[in-house]
Amino acid sequence: MNMMLFGPELYFLGMALVLFFLSLQRRVRVEQTYYVALWLSVGGVVLAGWCLFQEGELFFKAYKVDLFSQIFKAALAVGLFLVLMISRNLAHVEERCHPEFYLFLTTCTLGMMMLVSSVELLTIYVSLELSSYSLYILVPLRRGDDIDTEAGIKYLFIGAVSSGFMLFGLSYIFGATHTTYLAEIMPKMGQLIQNPIGVVGLLLALAGFFFKVSVFPFHFWAPDVYQGAANQVTTFIATASKAAAVAMLLRFAALGASFGYSFAEALVVLSIASMTLGNLVAIIQKDFKRMLAYSSIAHAGYILMGVLTMKEAGYISAIYYALAYLFMNFSVFLVIHEVASDGRDLKIPELAGLWYRSPLLTMTLILGIFALAGVPPSIGFTGKLLLFTSAMSSGYFWLVLIGAVNGTISLYFYLRVVYHAYFLEPGPRPKIHLSWPSRLLNYGVCGIIIGFGVFPDRIVELAKVAARLVL
Amino acid sequence: MTEHLASFPVLSCMLLAPPLGLFVLLFLKEEQQFLIRVVSLVAAGISFALSIYTFAAYDQKLGGLQFVEKYEWVKTFGITYFVGVEGMNAPLLLLTGIVIFTGVLTMWELQDRVKEYFIFQLALVTGVFGVFMSYDMFFFFLFYEIAVVPMYILILIWGSTRKIYAAMKLTLYLMAGSGLIIPGILLLYASSGIFTFDMVRLHAVQFAPWVQKLTFVMMYLGFGVLAGVWPFHTWSPVGHVAAPTAVSMLHAGVLMKLGSFAILRVAMYLCPQGFQYWAQLMGLLAATGIVYGVFVGLAQTDLKYVIGYSSVSHMGIVGLGLATGTVDGLNGAVFQMFAHGVMTALFFSAVGFIYDRTHTRDIHELGGFSKIMPVASAFFITAALCGAGVPGMASFWAELLVLVAAVKVFTVRGLFAIAALVIGALFALRVVQNTFFNEPNPKFIHYEDVSPFLGLPRMILIGFMIFFGIFPQVMVGLIKTSIIPFIQGL
Repeated sequence: MNMMLFGPELYFLGMALVLFFLSLQRRVRVEQTYYVALWLSVGGVVLAGWCLFQEGELFFKAYKVDLFSQIFKAALAVGLFLVLMISRNLAHVEERCHPEFYLFLTTCTLGMMMLVSSVELLTIYVSLELSSYSLYILVPLRRGDDIDTEAGIKYLFIGAVSSGFMLFGLSYIFGATHTTYLAEIMPKMGQLIQNPIGVVGLLLALAGFFFKVSVFPFHFWAPDVYQGAANQVTTFIATASKAAAVAMLLRFAALGASFGYSFAEALVVLSIASMTLGNLVAIIQKDFKRMLAYSSIAHAGYILMGVLTMKEAGYISAIYYALAYLFMNFSVFLVIHEVASDGRDLKIPELAGLWYRSPLLTMTLILGIFALAGVPPSIGFTGKLLLFTSAMSSGYFWLVLIGAVNGTISLYFYLRVVYHAYFLEPGPRPKIHLSWPSRLLNYGVCGIIIGFGVFPDRIVELAKVAARLVL
Repeated sequence: MTEHLASFPVLSCMLLAPPLGLFVLLFLKEEQQFLIRVVSLVAAGISFALSIYTFAAYDQKLGGLQFVEKYEWVKTFGITYFVGVEGMNAPLLLLTGIVIFTGVLTMWELQDRVKEYFIFQLALVTGVFGVFMSYDMFFFFLFYEIAVVPMYILILIWGSTRKIYAAMKLTLYLMAGSGLIIPGILLLYASSGIFTFDMVRLHAVQFAPWVQKLTFVMMYLGFGVLAGVWPFHTWSPVGHVAAPTAVSMLHAGVLMKLGSFAILRVAMYLCPQGFQYWAQLMGLLAATGIVYGVFVGLAQTDLKYVIGYSSVSHMGIVGLGLATGTVDGLNGAVFQMFAHGVMTALFFSAVGFIYDRTHTRDIHELGGFSKIMPVASAFFITAALCGAGVPGMASFWAELLVLVAAVKVFTVRGLFAIAALVIGALFALRVVQNTFFNEPNPKFIHYEDVSPFLGLPRMILIGFMIFFGIFPQVMVGLIKTSIIPFIQGL
């Protein structure tokens, strides 16, 4: 067995072990633990990048390493690194829990890395649960008011229910095809085309991923968890976790590629419901993270547009958008973290006067918000246009029209953020001083948002190769 | 269409000068105001100079697309970077160059958040240049949105009079238009069968009639919002009034032309049958807009509202010219886009100067303003004469061409439009009289008149207006080189 095939996973397992031993210390050295975690995650990014073009199969073909999985592994490693970059000041997590905080972030990343490579139903389920359980613990780690507990319980319950749905669906698929390997299920799915058991089974099996991407009707946890969890945890859920779930959604939905009409129609309905509901409810939100939660529901709807085409172009654009979403969402959370440096929940009006308090953060915020709203030149615009293009090429005219109208609606609440940050006077709020790593991070994120928005070709070509591997 | 590759990337330089200036601005400090202005002026100046160059160097005998640059951008989705110049966009590039250059000069006295202002203005103008030169629908739409969205921030922060409302209204209206444009563009892309965004290649495709009809009406309405087509114009007077001077100039002068140009360049060019089908509606809405704009404008007492509504009626003339689908009509429409752009820029520039001093734009309060600031008033009066369609000004020829064509094609509507414009002209003179030649308001007596430096941008605008008024053939001849092949393609 080539160790490099399993390299990133082994590395993060090792990292988890290191953090585990750190957590056993009687006295927690906050600074030291943080830097250990951060530098280890840098190593993870390097290694995941190094392994980008690995190919092979492991564990009796239950585990497939290909460009598709490696892209997402790299994205996950980057996601973890970005989240750790803003975790220096974990104001709302008790000091004695810091090593655990890093530990569970790592195990969650590990679980999702395994998830994107799994091509066997049970492996998928086990990996999914590994990442979910870590998050179940991370969400209520926040100290303070009761909202954390509420969020934690909600997340656990809805997570458990959707896992239940998923297992039920998987049992249908297994029952109908007598195998747990995706590669063997794929050719048999064609026969299930007349059979409702196939549609129902597949849709239920997707429930687990719908939960993760917060697609309607599995979205109820999102607002409370976004608001209730510590800002860093929310960032992780909103960025890395989303990307991994999209990857699996793509892999699984490919099973329905030969399925044709009814399966795609079901996804169309979910897509429309998600984006419309997300955008409409986001309008009335006052808490910034809650608003982003609804915006993430809407974005799940957009991503579904690419998934439901079941064609190469759709998959390319969904992959592109998932990666783009990671960065643009992170840029907004970066601003939240810096403005609410004491770890509180940020109300949108608290952004007032940001242009005076920190011009750099304002730039990041505006770019991030515009990218989410799909305004050029940003990865968000390019990604959304590619999604629309692929959906239109597959003949979904109405879906694109509704998507475009939704884009207009969403602009309203995104512009409200710009309005507060850029127009209102700061009042007594002091200037925000950024450390130099934070400044670099800001420049980097802005550069990525614009750079890959204007020059998407490299990513599209990579995504193209990856998409061919799954379909 | 024949394509002649550029030996030197003139267009890319024109396009990239503003963002490059923007990038430099990012590293300047807010306190270095003079440097900020100079950098912006240099960036705008480079684009201005290059736009004059392309206008003058365009080879009319050769025709077709010149200065073409074409690079594959995203092969998988058929996106190319494809820019070029032909007879119909050369005047508009020139217009953009004029307006941005004079716009930077007009805003020379700005004190509040100077750096950010010029950053957003340069971003906006990048979008405008991009739209006028792009022949790939992806880039066309990308630049279109870049031109629209910074407006929100520009109006919100540096605007006046109900700016919060106006900024949001304007942005949502225009983005709702985009919501129609995207499906339209993509429908063409998907139903072409060749999966390319390249407009010249798409033009060769025969789209099914229903596709053309559907796409055309979506694009007409979507772009029409920006072009101020009645009844989707309501954002525009409010927006113009709220916007700061240079932004009003850019917005009424250039941005609204993006809409009408896009109707011509994308909707009519790619869906000729759709155009035939909807031409009557276009003519009707345009004529209504002309009449409506004139009469509502008459009732206003705020100078900027007067100009705002006159823009609605002048853009109606552009729409009417497009709807005729004849050589004269299209010639006139493109000429009118240019003439109206320069004229409105002058209007807003003149009003802006007066408003910055007196903080009022009320016609009656200003009273006999020409006795206080004769030069500043003269600028406004010149613009008003141009707006009234006085011979010797550029817009006279443009309106003449359009109206002649309109009377031939839509007789009744054309006559209504002419009648409205004549009445409008009479009343425009009355506005001028009330504002400038009544008793002067003693409150404003002590104000200084325009200094030669601040008068410079207005002089440039007047210069162009009169030059093309005296030598309309320079413009018409150039526009014609692209309109004649265009009509043959319809």
